[in-house]
Amino acid sequence: MAFIEIRNLRKIYRLGNEKVYALKNIDLEINKGEVCCILGTSGSGKSTLLNMLAGLEKPTRGDIFINGVNIAKLNERRLAKFRQENTGFVFQSYNLIPQLTALENVGMPLMFKGLPKSIRNKKALKMLKAVGLGDRMKHRPNQMSGGQQQRVGIARAFVAKPNVIFADEPTGNLDTKTTIDVMTLMVDMCRKHNLTLIIVTHDIEIAAYADRIVHIIDGEITSVEENIHAEDINTENEREETE
Amino acid sequence: MKISDMLQMCFRNLWRRKGRTMLTVTGVVIGSCAVIVMISLGIGMNKAMDGMLGTLGDLTAVTIYNYNYGNSSAEEDKPLLDDTAIESFKNIENVTAVIPKMSVSGEMVTIASGKNDRYKISWTEIYGIDFSLFDEMNYTAAQGEFPKEGMYENAIVFGNEVPYQFRDTKKKGQASYTYKQQLPDGTFSKPFVEPVGETIMLYINNTKKMNDDGSYQYGGRGYEFKMLGTAVLETDPMWETPYSVFIDINLAKQIISDYQRLNGIRDNKPAEYTQVKILTDNIEHTEAVQEAVEAMGYEASSMAQVRQEMQGYLGVIQMVLGSLAAISLLVAAISITNTMIMSIYERTREIGIMKVLGCFISNIRLVFLMEAGMIGLLGGVLGTIISYVISAVMNFLGSGLFGSMMGMQTADSQISIIPLWLVLLALVFSTIIGLISGFYPANRAVKISALEAIRNE
Repeated sequence: MAFIEIRNLRKIYRLGNEKVYALKNIDLEINKGEVCCILGTSGSGKSTLLNMLAGLEKPTRGDIFINGVNIAKLNERRLAKFRQENTGFVFQSYNLIPQLTALENVGMPLMFKGLPKSIRNKKALKMLKAVGLGDRMKHRPNQMSGGQQQRVGIARAFVAKPNVIFADEPTGNLDTKTTIDVMTLMVDMCRKHNLTLIIVTHDIEIAAYADRIVHIIDGEITSVEENIHAEDINTENEREETE
Repeated sequence: MKISDMLQMCFRNLWRRKGRTMLTVTGVVIGSCAVIVMISLGIGMNKAMDGMLGTLGDLTAVTIYNYNYGNSSAEEDKPLLDDTAIESFKNIENVTAVIPKMSVSGEMVTIASGKNDRYKISWTEIYGIDFSLFDEMNYTAAQGEFPKEGMYENAIVFGNEVPYQFRDTKKKGQASYTYKQQLPDGTFSKPFVEPVGETIMLYINNTKKMNDDGSYQYGGRGYEFKMLGTAVLETDPMWETPYSVFIDINLAKQIISDYQRLNGIRDNKPAEYTQVKILTDNIEHTEAVQEAVEAMGYEASSMAQVRQEMQGYLGVIQMVLGSLAAISLLVAAISITNTMIMSIYERTREIGIMKVLGCFISNIRLVFLMEAGMIGLLGGVLGTIISYVISAVMNFLGSGLFGSMMGMQTADSQISIIPLWLVLLALVFSTIIGLISGFYPANRAVKISALEAIRNE
């Protein structure tokens, strides 16, 4: 069994009397440590797929197995527990809490797990250092640039040592240079810890970082493309950075 | 999530909107203040009432009057207030003392003092009372001491106005009387006789022979009693004792029989008492004892009846005041709910993020309940402090007014009393009000869809 298995997944929204098929019949397997990109235009159903993978939305039909657990069947509390232990999130608009410092924001998933503050802060600081923001721990989100905020977001996603990271248009609000930095950082960290990374985007450039690109149009997977150059891009970027 | 983290989150959120939080808290402060002050007024009123009734008479006493006494056409079915009755009263539960009183009417005896009986009192009622129980009457002596054992039959106690009734028989007109009046130096004028330590004579009257001045002539040798004045009573605000003279009950019985013998009155009726006072061990038992006595067919009265009526009356006042206060607390509760709903709208995104990051919804609910409860508790604490101030001010300003309202000069009485239990009650109650007010918003918060909350703008 693959790390993530999606079977016969269907999602239907009702708009008045009309049925809208957001996802028609999705079957997909994603392996542990894989960087997978779900590529599609807006309205293609890619975000719906991500939401269901993260357990934020219930499918109309079908099953989603992550690490052997069918999350489509979990109740609210078990889903929360599942998210605490298995998932990390990176959002387009960062979704940091404005009143909290970078350190506190990163420590949040650990707080929900019930870890005491001292341990939380230690782990969060380590993570901030890993994303290159060790000197910004006392800063609040509005005192940082978009790129820095997204790094804080990445640190927050990784801090609880999840098995899978979901990234929803992670660079949508960033300029090209920062996009490259953020993507490189995120993909590198996943590779280093052998984490599964699922990126949802409409941007071909971003897709280039993935091992596999899943094209989705009108709620259906049209093609799955193995990207043999993924490693190359990454090493290339690293070379650029060291130069 | 740890409780400490939730508390911290709750404080942070309250602090974030300081102004709004304080305004909401103010609502609770006003509400809890109103409730505390109103209840404290009620407690104060009850205390003042008991104090006032206490000055009117002993709250533990039941008094039985004998309306048959001296009435020849006595109703046959009324039980006699005699020694048998006294014994049956003693058997009633919670009775500590039964004090019978027998009156020697004014026509029977002349009181005299001074050399050659120069000073006289005619037409004053004398009460026979068991001097061994005199302490139970709760009278206080202004001068002298109450009769001691062994000299009961030769002791006489005067009400504070009685000495002024002595007439000087050597003088005529105005000069033969003294009046009690305040002198320029603040003291009172002196009567002809100050009875404490003086020899006082009691002469049984012969009602067939009257003097020129309207008094009766004495019965002569064998119909006189030599007494020693022992005490003058303190002023009695109820005007029960000022004009009374007390002698021992056995002496009173003898005087009555001597009088009847001297004046040829035949009375076959057994000796009856004019009044019996029953003392109970506790205010709360007074009413039951009174009922027991009335069940035997006697007419009795006590302060318990008055007390109960007044308590009922005060209860209505308290209820009206209390409901006014409750309304303001209700308004405060609604304003907490309103504040929390607004706060949730502002924090929709934050709640969504928390959910996505794996926060249990029970934790989210608890955070919001804590915030609402904290507003309530804070309001309760401040309300209690302010209530103490208001209470002190009211006690300072209004005690005179309140005292006169209750018809008593009780300068030291408190209008408003805040006992510890009221403080604890107020704190617990305001916190609960907060929690209840926060219940609906908290449930709203957990229903927020994480998806919509974090959706990219």
